[in-house]
Order: sequence, then C-alpha cells, then structure tokens
Amino acid sequence: MVRVRDDLAEAHRLAWDHVAAPGSWFTGAQRVELAATVLAAIADPDPLPPWVAATLTDRVPPERLAPDLAHDAAYRLARHAGTVTHDVYRVFVDGLGELPYVELCAIVSTVAAVGHFCRNIGMPVPELPQPVAGEPSHEQPDELAQPTLNWVPVAAPADQVASVVQAYSAVPGEWVNTWRMAEAQYMPEPDMVHPDWSRRPGGMTRAQMELVAARVARLRDCFF
Amino acid sequence: MLSWSSRETNEQVDITAVAEGRAGVGMEHGDELLRFASACAGDDDAELVGARGALVAATDEAFMVDAAAVAANFEMMTRLADGTGAAMPPERLERSAAEIAVMGTGSLPSRR
Repeated sequence: MVRVRDDLAEAHRLAWDHVAAPGSWFTGAQRVELAATVLAAIADPDPLPPWVAATLTDRVPPERLAPDLAHDAAYRLARHAGTVTHDVYRVFVDGLGELPYVELCAIVSTVAAVGHFCRNIGMPVPELPQPVAGEPSHEQPDELAQPTLNWVPVAAPADQVASVVQAYSAVPGEWVNTWRMAEAQYMPEPDMVHPDWSRRPGGMTRAQMELVAARVARLRDCFF
Repeated sequence: MLSWSSRETNEQVDITAVAEGRAGVGMEHGDELLRFASACAGDDDAELVGARGALVAATDEAFMVDAAAVAANFEMMTRLADGTGAAMPPERLERSAAEIAVMGTGSLPSRR
C-alpha cells in the first residue's frame, strides 16, 4: 500500500465528489457517465483512432444519458487531446454549446489526472461515486469574453492571466476544482514564479518537476 | 519551464535527452525520473512497475508519489490546454524557440 500525502488524497477525494455532483451544464448522472467513458479511454488496450466516434463502438454503454457527441468528445480528449484542431473543436461546440464543452473538458482532465495518478503509483482507480441528484446550475460569470489565447470563452476580462489559467473560468466550479488539484499535484499557483520551490525538504526540486512535466507533455503531443 | 528552472538553479539539463527519452539528462535522479515519466505516459505496465521501483530505490516512496502527482498534473493540463485551444503569447514563443526546436514540438497539431 503506497502512502499518499493527505493534501493530495483529499484533493482527489474532492475531485471524485465534484465529478458526481450536478455541474453548470450536465447532471451528476451525466457527469459520472462521461467520467466512465474517460476511464475506459485511458485504459483502452486497443485505443480507437482519433477520427472514430466512440459511440459507434462498444467502448461506451448503449444506454446513455449524456449526448453521444459528449461521449465522443470525452473519448477523443481523454485519448488523443493533442489531435484536437480548431475544426474539431467547432464540431464539438456546435453540437454541445461552448460552456457545456468547457465543462466536458474539465471532467476529462479531472478524471484523467486521478486515473493516471492511481496507475502511476500502482493503485486501483477508486470506483466512481453515485451521482448526486439535481439539475445543472447554469452558473456562469456575469460577463464572458473571447480571448485571443484560447478557443473557448472565458470570464471577462480576457487575457489578463495565462491561457491555461483562464481556460475554465467560464465554468467557475470546474476552475476551482482544477486549481485545487493543481495545487496538490504540482504547486500553488502563486509559487510558480519561484524556480527553487520545493514541497518539502529533500523533495523534488523545481527542475525535477519540470523534467517530469516536459516528458509527459512531449509524449502527449502537447505543444503547450 | 524546464529550461528556465534549471537555468535559474544552475542545474545542467540535456533537453535533447528529455526529448528522446534517453539516459544522460544530467540532474540528480534525472534518469530515474525520465524513465518513470515516460512509463507513466506509456502503455507498458511492466515497464511502469520497473521504473517505479527504480525511482523508489534511488529516492524514497514519498518522492515517487510526488513525481507521480506531477505526471498526473500534466495529464490534466495537457488535456486542458489542447481541449480549450490554449496558446502561448508570441513573446514566449520567441523566447522558447530553441527549446521548441530541440523538443521537436514545432510541427505538432497542438501548436497554435
């Protein structure tokens, strides 16, 4: 049994709770269903090519609450995010809507992080929780803006922070969950300017962390 | 960020080794970390078990957990960036031109 530090275990527990709760645009049941598609995608021993819709295969259950396109996008983002072009993005948002698509991206990135972490340390992925009943909140910022550094709309004003920081700001609950996870997995956002930051004495140096980050990003074909 | 952090802390890093996933990275535990990161993002479960064991042997379990968490964070951030079309500002692209060339990422579809 690998010992996981408390803050990290808590961030992942909260992430699982978050996935099962109603979001701004999807119900808890839809979110858990989409999370299952993400887990199936990242563990798929014979992954589909990027251009094949997962809902036309046996990769997702035949009875579905979330739209087929949401499952197809979830599989694509989970397994082949580096192949998503602006044209592919347009197909997804034309079918789902811009803010539901942002929420979907966040479900994928959240579940991929927890799923991969468990595999990385050799532990089983915890079962997805039971969905929490309730309707989507439709919560969104008072004003949205179209940034120059992202495809997706963000909370106004745009482009005041890094593109990855503003990316989920149009769906506030996802933004909070993502950056809570990042703080436990990587480092607190305000500390990112410190090249000598370390979580604890004798822990990974910043350069060692960036080595891991660079290698994972390279193997995921992520330019950013 | 790797170039910046290693430059600021005077740690010598061979970015070509990172790009190619080969030994000779040049920082403390660099080779074990590179092998572990590669295995985390790969599909070979047996290699992951070996890489994890080698990293724990060179450091300790808590260090391995921290490395696993960083790898997981970039499973999250790569999907966030690529799903939302996140781009770098032009001045950062210009500053990073040499690293982009070494990493071989300039022609990726995810370059925006």
